[in-house]
Amino acid sequence: MSKRVYRYFYGFLDKQQSFLNRMAREGWRLMRTGRISYVFEPCEPDEYNYCVDFVAHKSPRASQDYQRFLDEMGYRVMTKPLNINYSIGKVRVRPWGEGWGKLATSPGAFNKELLIVEKKNDGKPFELHTTMEDRMAYYRTQRSAWGTLALALAAFAVYSLVRYGWAWQAVALSVLTLFHLWPAWQSHHILKQLKAQSEVME
Amino acid sequence: MENVGALTEVSLFILLSLYEPRHGYAVMQFIEQQTDGRLRLGAGSLYGALNNLADKGWIEPLGEADRRRREYRITLIGKKVVQGEIRRLHQLTAFAEEIVGEQT
Repeated sequence: MSKRVYRYFYGFLDKQQSFLNRMAREGWRLMRTGRISYVFEPCEPDEYNYCVDFVAHKSPRASQDYQRFLDEMGYRVMTKPLNINYSIGKVRVRPWGEGWGKLATSPGAFNKELLIVEKKNDGKPFELHTTMEDRMAYYRTQRSAWGTLALALAAFAVYSLVRYGWAWQAVALSVLTLFHLWPAWQSHHILKQLKAQSEVME
Repeated sequence: MENVGALTEVSLFILLSLYEPRHGYAVMQFIEQQTDGRLRLGAGSLYGALNNLADKGWIEPLGEADRRRREYRITLIGKKVVQGEIRRLHQLTAFAEEIVGEQT
């Protein structure tokens, strides 16, 4: 008997990860995901652990290579879209992507921004990013991704405010800006702590 | 050879583990066993570290690139880096012991 649960976490990857681990603790194994739905099947309580990873800054090829590596490690890897829109033939610019930025296309990297990685629980903690350098790179990517989006939205909000005053457009855009600013700020905060730590420890 | 500075503990352990060819999972296990579980390496960090070390030419993948369970091994340059690091660590511990020894 499978169970379908509707949730949408957007940029709150840590919340998504906690949700999946909570379900696993209660004896539900994730089978597949949609944009806002998660399908679970019964398993032993605590049989699996989950990590959610962000790969939107990678090219499709780099992302596939990483997925293959995780697969070789014995993990089960699923891709998950970050957004809820359907898209075919879509092209998005990601100035915060690796190198000079990345173009996300559909089919391609678009709608495969997240990886959900499943490991059979062996009693040891399950983390993907453990070294200082790698953790800092991870949060730096998050900060620029969400920060760039927040900045773009803030610019639209200001434009709309100047043009139409406090109409619904400006209000909606401001709310959206805050919604993107939060994960950016969260990443910035963690990054600051890591930086301070990295000055004395590896 | 470029002056490489101090290696991170993880880089040194990966290089040491690859004196014998190993794939990612075996590298992870090697590090965990040799440090009695103190140093636990996440797969994402290991992936980044292996790619960085391969880009520097300190390790190299074995066989065709698209084979399942890609194995790596240390290169000659990598071995020189390890020897340099051993010298650095020796100097460091000798100096530290000298200072601490004087005080006790």
